[in-house]
Amino acid sequence: MSDYLSTTERETREMLDKIGVKSIEELFEDIPADMKLKKLNLPEGKSQQETMEIMTALSKKNKVYDVILRGAGSYDHYIPSMVKNLSSRSEFITAYTPYQAEMSQGILQAIFEYQSMICNLTGMDVSNASVYNGANAAAEAMLMCCEKNRKTFVTFNNIRPDTLKVLNTYAHRRGITVKVIDAVKGVSDIASLKKELNDTSACVYIEQPNYFGLIEDAEEIGKAAHEAGAKFVMGCNPIALALLKSPAECGADIAVGDAQPLGLPMSFGGPYVGFMACTTKEMRKMPGRIVGETTDHDGNRAYVLTLQAREQHIRREKAFSNICSNQAYCALVASMYMSAMGPEGMAEVANACVSYAHYLAEGLESAGLKLKYRGDFFHEFVTECDKPADKIIKALDKAGILGGLKLSANEILWCATETLSKADIDRAVEVVRRVK
Amino acid sequence: MNLIFEISEKGKRCATIRTPDVKAAKINKKYLRAEKPELPEVSEVDFSRHYTALSRRAFGVDNGFYPLGSCTMKYNPKINEEVAALEGFTRIHPLQDVKTVQGALEVMDTLSCSLAEITGMDAVTLQPNAGAHGEYTGLLLIAAYHAARKDFKRTKVIVPDSAHGTNPASAVMAGFEIINVPSDEKKGVDLKALKAVVGDDTAALMLTNPTTLGLFEKNIKEISKIIHNAGGLLYYDGANLNAVMGVVRPGDMGFDVVHLNLHKTFSTPHGGGGPGSGPVGCKKELAQFLPNPRVEKTEKGYKFVNGAKSIGKVASFYGNFGVYVRALAYIVALGAEGIKAAAQHAVLNANYLKVNIEDLYPTEKGRHCMHEFVVSMQELKDKTGVSAMEIAKTMIDRGYHPPTMYFPLIIHEALMFEPTETENKRTLDEVIAALREIYEEAFKDPEYMKSAPHHAQIGRPDEVKAARQPVVRYVKQ
Repeated sequence: MSDYLSTTERETREMLDKIGVKSIEELFEDIPADMKLKKLNLPEGKSQQETMEIMTALSKKNKVYDVILRGAGSYDHYIPSMVKNLSSRSEFITAYTPYQAEMSQGILQAIFEYQSMICNLTGMDVSNASVYNGANAAAEAMLMCCEKNRKTFVTFNNIRPDTLKVLNTYAHRRGITVKVIDAVKGVSDIASLKKELNDTSACVYIEQPNYFGLIEDAEEIGKAAHEAGAKFVMGCNPIALALLKSPAECGADIAVGDAQPLGLPMSFGGPYVGFMACTTKEMRKMPGRIVGETTDHDGNRAYVLTLQAREQHIRREKAFSNICSNQAYCALVASMYMSAMGPEGMAEVANACVSYAHYLAEGLESAGLKLKYRGDFFHEFVTECDKPADKIIKALDKAGILGGLKLSANEILWCATETLSKADIDRAVEVVRRVK
Repeated sequence: MNLIFEISEKGKRCATIRTPDVKAAKINKKYLRAEKPELPEVSEVDFSRHYTALSRRAFGVDNGFYPLGSCTMKYNPKINEEVAALEGFTRIHPLQDVKTVQGALEVMDTLSCSLAEITGMDAVTLQPNAGAHGEYTGLLLIAAYHAARKDFKRTKVIVPDSAHGTNPASAVMAGFEIINVPSDEKKGVDLKALKAVVGDDTAALMLTNPTTLGLFEKNIKEISKIIHNAGGLLYYDGANLNAVMGVVRPGDMGFDVVHLNLHKTFSTPHGGGGPGSGPVGCKKELAQFLPNPRVEKTEKGYKFVNGAKSIGKVASFYGNFGVYVRALAYIVALGAEGIKAAAQHAVLNANYLKVNIEDLYPTEKGRHCMHEFVVSMQELKDKTGVSAMEIAKTMIDRGYHPPTMYFPLIIHEALMFEPTETENKRTLDEVIAALREIYEEAFKDPEYMKSAPHHAQIGRPDEVKAARQPVVRYVKQ
């Protein structure tokens, strides 16, 4: 058995003597005897080596693909060595929330830098220190926007299904209506939107690029939202933001998204990190931790958790959100990624995604698949085809390639990133071509 | 030290990627941003030194004693980090065919079953991303349970005044009204007050046991009876499970729903504020409402199933999977006896620290504490002017992380110590000596303590200025 205790039997004895009890059991005397458990029905503890063997064996029951053509909310990107190495320092890993500013300046400054990078990427004024993931960021934005007389959240059926599910969960018990409008040709349609908007609309939410990979005409959507007195919330892929108009340029009041593409592995869906940024006007309604700059009593620059009057530990039932633990470590990794890549590197990654995605789309078209939507796309796109999606994906799987995600019997959502090469794509296209 | 933006020089590069070997595709200009985002431009050596410097200004469990009450800052085993980084766990896509991720589903199922056993619950979801998120999820289960019985009057959640702030905040997010109940003179739930507020509008009572004062709620059976007789459910805030795991189970105390914090009790690291993980367990009557999807073990292997009566999803995909891998490695290593031993030694360490300082740092008399205890520095403050906060700041000067301050709210000048089971006697003896000296210092030189810390990274920060004139991002001068 392993344990992580560091007291010898002799020391335990001395401690019990000092406390004035004969055994550790005596310390639990307040617990009614008939309630106590005899023994947990769990296996005996294992040595460190056995634990490693057991966990490694579990990891080997998962298939790791050489080539990944699937995204849909989880993206395979190159993770720079320096990000992996520096983020593994145990001072970062084993620290708690930086409540004690005087001994946590490193964590606080790292969060302040993360907030600054998210602001610069989105063009917004204020970022929080992170929330759980992109879907939860959208849900928190929904709660920020809904007011007494404006309780309808308006969106389209081209957002990520997981996000919609989480929005519905959060809306249900708060009397919020989630109105989902049909997209036209895959994109959010202004005319349909205008018909839906009225003085009960709290906000309009779109994703950029949307679930089908298409680039939205976000500025027009934002204008329509504002004309109706509603807020405009954009859910963005942060890699795409290296190239695309920022949410601020599109008139967004709140920008959210999942920062997983910024240096976090796919890891079967988590931990990821939701980013949230807003205009100064919305700042005091923003959930979660925010780090601010101030000075200490000698006038030196210092960082602290600030605007805490918004938060649960002060406001209890009057808080804007219940969030306490966030995804700070993942936010640190994301900020390291942005620092390691810089504006040029981020743009190169984004451009590589666009180029490989378009090359893959052309290849698949040559292999008999059709692009379902004709709009501009970033690094994902949907195909339709007479060949069953299952057959295509199975054939790719045999070749060690994780194909796109099946959306329906004949539709597949594909993704390409900078991890691919021409040879990988050519090979995948050949496999698809041969599917009967 | 400088911000990374302040050491940035245009044209510097750090990480680089392969040039694409296909024709460059371009996005329509009308969608492009006017300027590239202003992100740092640094060389690799600048990068490494910057983040190393930041890490040296951070304080983790590996740096020293961290008795932050209610947060269970136990040691985070290194093997957990290594197994979580295995390619078979990190490089798998959440939407892979379940046949290709049987190991991942087995991790989730084994962990869920282990947590069900530890808590005495019938079913567990791992999906919530943190403790507060677990509370929210658990309360949605309770709402769904009452709604399914067409018991629509149950709109109120009762919360003791000693509860964590997340309890009332989560209940409001889940659409409930809050009823606060006071504590009695023994710092337990005031039964009379509880009886006065329960009724056919009671959805649930949220309770931490041991309570936030580190004391076992002796009246738990009576409380359970009062709530259940009124038709309500009993919710267990698992923040303090480390005191009792393997000794007594929430399910056997009468609780119907529990949330746990893998980042407290099950040794996964806090990472400067997260990621956490807040699994929720429940009794079988509530299992049908758990979030989708759930993992099910069949003869043909593991699969995901979606229940028709589920409250839906509370997070993307399946939650913080990487955290599950670490927690499972911890449970595998400890096993049945190791888990109990962890609780026992957590309680032993807390009591040892308590008996050695309680003459100076007064706490609840005549009882053993559980894994943590709360002292009140009111008397010291009255005599010397030195507050709980100033004691905390003086601890920083001595290289210790302070305990939790000013919580729970019902104790004046509160300091909450939770040493955890992984501290050794030598460390505790050093801390005891330091705390006794600090107490003396408050009488000898109170003015010096009032301006502590003196040897930290910074002096006392101006928090009022930070909130009144918020500077929350770097702006180029």
